Amino acid sequence: MKTFIKVTEIWVPDKERTQLEFGSGLYGALTDFKAASKQQRFAYNEGLPGKAWAQRRPIVLTEFEHSYFMRTSAAKQAGLTCGIAIPLFSGDFLLAVVMFLCGDDEGHAGAIEVWSNTNAADMLSVSAGYYGTLHHFETLSKQIKLAKGQGIPGLVWQNTLPILIEDIGQPELFIRGLEAQQAGITTCLGIPVCSDTKHTYIMTFLSAQATPIAKRIQLWTPDPQGERLVCQQGYSKNSNDLAQLFETLTVTKGEGALGRVWLTGMPVISGNHESSYTPELDNLSAMLAMPVIENGRLKAIVTFLF
Amino acid sequence: MTLLNIVLIENDLNSTLLEYGLKGAGFKCLKTQHSSQFLEVVKKTAPDAVIFNLDTPSEKITADLHHLSQHFPLPVIMFATDITVEAINQVIKAGVSELIVNGLENNLPSIIHIAIARFNQQQVLKHALEEARVQLEDRKQIDRAKAILIKTRNFTENEAYHTLRKLAMDRSITLGEMAKNVIAMAELLK
Repeated sequence: MKTFIKVTEIWVPDKERTQLEFGSGLYGALTDFKAASKQQRFAYNEGLPGKAWAQRRPIVLTEFEHSYFMRTSAAKQAGLTCGIAIPLFSGDFLLAVVMFLCGDDEGHAGAIEVWSNTNAADMLSVSAGYYGTLHHFETLSKQIKLAKGQGIPGLVWQNTLPILIEDIGQPELFIRGLEAQQAGITTCLGIPVCSDTKHTYIMTFLSAQATPIAKRIQLWTPDPQGERLVCQQGYSKNSNDLAQLFETLTVTKGEGALGRVWLTGMPVISGNHESSYTPELDNLSAMLAMPVIENGRLKAIVTFLF
Repeated sequence: MTLLNIVLIENDLNSTLLEYGLKGAGFKCLKTQHSSQFLEVVKKTAPDAVIFNLDTPSEKITADLHHLSQHFPLPVIMFATDITVEAINQVIKAGVSELIVNGLENNLPSIIHIAIARFNQQQVLKHALEEARVQLEDRKQIDRAKAILIKTRNFTENEAYHTLRKLAMDRSITLGEMAKNVIAMAELLK
């Protein structure tokens, strides 16, 4: 199964916390791009991760050529045309930058958007987005404004929790439902990513059946006692009873990959880091677990399984 | 009876003793010298057996025999006139079924039939060994997957086994493959 996201990376502050260095990444068969990335470092405000750090907001870069993107040649060779950098902060301090890189070929349908209230304090609008080949949907999306509680971005803003809608054909939830369906989009994941006293930023990942954002997405939240992580939702295009079996587990702080995310607030990539993919592991061989942090506390963990 | 096809690799193409012997005994024979095309020739002609008639096997021949044994196993008979103990060990390891030193005067048809029979027997044993190895590996994986389910889900051993079996049946894959899936999933969360 092809996924919309081709490369996932985690960039972390180095020992002096003045530069970003390679933390981990999932590159599939893009070994040359992986080799180029592992050597890379980014100063504050340098390259895509450095800009996301400096600007304290998610950045979508849809053109690498003649931009501040620092791995343009390697990305071009790997067929990567768009990068999304999401900084994860705890207060003033950067924990990590999560990067997604996508290709632009015809077979990839889907969209990644950043919604923010930078234009009007009480309304969200698309401040950046990557829509691949969905040009009509892009035009429409950039005209929409959403109040708190309205649509998926508005609901995420209201609840400060990630939301995963498996069927977007419900106009009360997804205002662009009809157009999205026409564009082949079926699923939407909304994540609150950064906010300060003035601005809030929400990411939405819109996923098509043929090229889902990831093979499976899970939302984990701490239980009311704050003792265990519980999986609230898991979704993949094909039902996966093995994943469901593991989603009935609860996780304590520090235990396993998810427990480590909770303990440290740092995103984690686990599983198959190598290009040699094992086809008999028919479904899930790698995972990105991304924390959602509010006021220094873990609100949720979103996992992207590949 | 079908005629057996033999590829005869002669050190000296002028030597006709084996070629006439084979044809006289009713075998179809393609005579050639060993070259870089050897593996191609064998794959193309797909003979019932390959016979070498040499002074001593070169390193290249031994390497080619190794390759042949791995990718296109066939009965291989080797007549040699001058061969060291080390070379004997190497060619046997490389999959030669019958090695005859200074033995061209022996009964050729019997040598070939014995070599083919021995080769077939070796192949049966090789497959049985491979199957046993896979089964043992599967068994280890299944035990590991069961242990994961017992630990994470508080299953009894019986419940773990039945869960694993059901997951495998739903996916139409073997229990061993399913066990690998469970292990991979647990690795993700580790």
